[in-house]
Amino acid sequence: MQSRKRGRLQRLAGLLEIPQDIVMDLPRITMLGNRQLLIENHKGIIEYTPSLIRIKLNQGELIVTGADLTLGNLQVEQILVEGTVEELKYDL
Amino acid sequence: MTFNMSNYMHGAIRLKVTGFMPEKFINLCTAQNIYLWKISKKNSDLFVWMKVEDFFLIRPIVRKSRTRVTIVSRYGLPFAAKRLKKRKILLIGPVAFFLVLNVLASFVWFVDVTGVKNLSDSQIKAIAFQQGLKPGVLKSNINTKQIENEILINTPEVAWISVNFIGTRAVIEVVEKTVPKQDDKSPAHIVAGKDGVITEIITLAGQSTLKVGDTVKKGDLLIKGFAPEPVNHQDPSAQPPVISVPPQLIKAKGIVKARVWYESYGETELIKAKHQRTGRQQIGVLLKIGSNEIVLKSAHPEQFGLYDKEVVHKKLPLWRNSDFIVESNIDIYHELDTEWSEMTVEEARDYAKNNALAQIQNLMPETAQILSRKIELIKTEEPNLVRIKATIEVEEDIGKSMIISQQ
Repeated sequence: MQSRKRGRLQRLAGLLEIPQDIVMDLPRITMLGNRQLLIENHKGIIEYTPSLIRIKLNQGELIVTGADLTLGNLQVEQILVEGTVEELKYDL
Repeated sequence: MTFNMSNYMHGAIRLKVTGFMPEKFINLCTAQNIYLWKISKKNSDLFVWMKVEDFFLIRPIVRKSRTRVTIVSRYGLPFAAKRLKKRKILLIGPVAFFLVLNVLASFVWFVDVTGVKNLSDSQIKAIAFQQGLKPGVLKSNINTKQIENEILINTPEVAWISVNFIGTRAVIEVVEKTVPKQDDKSPAHIVAGKDGVITEIITLAGQSTLKVGDTVKKGDLLIKGFAPEPVNHQDPSAQPPVISVPPQLIKAKGIVKARVWYESYGETELIKAKHQRTGRQQIGVLLKIGSNEIVLKSAHPEQFGLYDKEVVHKKLPLWRNSDFIVESNIDIYHELDTEWSEMTVEEARDYAKNNALAQIQNLMPETAQILSRKIELIKTEEPNLVRIKATIEVEEDIGKSMIISQQ
């Protein structure tokens, strides 16, 4: 049921040329090399250490590993991770 | 985003968050729309930056997340103002500084005159002084237009003038009129400036007693500054008047051209020593402080057989008429190498001739017309020497005006 609704929404978004992240409530992740990572549309931080950041998403979580990670510019809508990003993993 | 103007104005603080779950504190803050930045973690302590105004809202969050917060550092105007309140003199200092600067800058401290050629600075400054433009007056009290007009009226030699201020300096810019040179009308004779044989004589005013072909010496009278005597046409055989009236003095005018001879000698050696720098050099540095001299580096030019010395004198530029007492003297000794160059007799003769002619060239006026040129080789006892005598005959105007002294 859930997946069928999503499939329909996706098709509608494609038809109307609306970005999918708005329609589907997906996170938009922008990476600048391996030094900056901007995550928009998140649902909060689960865990934060300089080497590991777990960010809660609409569905599941995003695990960022790296070195000297800091959170610059933390807002309701977006998180900016700075430092050396080594790995980015979805845990659904 | 972080240390920008808005954060500076409102103030920001860095917090240390300790506790079991500092992440919860972050999430609660973002949920409350509290803006956090530069979040970092050291060991188990979390450090975050936030606005001062948000700090008063986090008490329930802190309690909810079961953490403890302490302020680590402060940033921004509110904190700076608080510090300044404790140290009032720190605030008074800059304020007083700008106040004094502003007050002092509104006075005229210097008056400069530029563009004067024949007039004197002091003459224009004196008029400006009378009009109130002098060191120590307020700039706003000075009517530049009025001063300009006053100077223009009082000094007729000035064609254009402008008074304006550059900082604390009042600059009076002057453009002078170019007045045609006034002819000296006082009576004068024309005398010979050089020895010579007269070839042409044209008298425009005055009386001339000379003929073409006469030989004159330097200082001889050529044209007398007397008004011409009235010629008696009716009776050429009439007796000259018995009473001689002293002639009326005028300024004599005329062109007296004469043949003039110039002579000069030039000599050269056939074998000449030529000194050239070898490139090796020694540098001596001397530091002068007042009357004390400190040798920083001493040179030993004795090592060089032959050397020339170059002195570089370094001094700090003058600043507001105060002389700096520190100066340095750098002596550079260049080693010289002697080179013997040999010339043929023809070359030497040419060289000597050029030397001799160059000497004459300095004596001759530019308008002189060269009639003939003679070059003689003079025998000398020294075999190494070539001597030349150059004689040039020119035709030139030898007349020179000499004012008649009236007593």
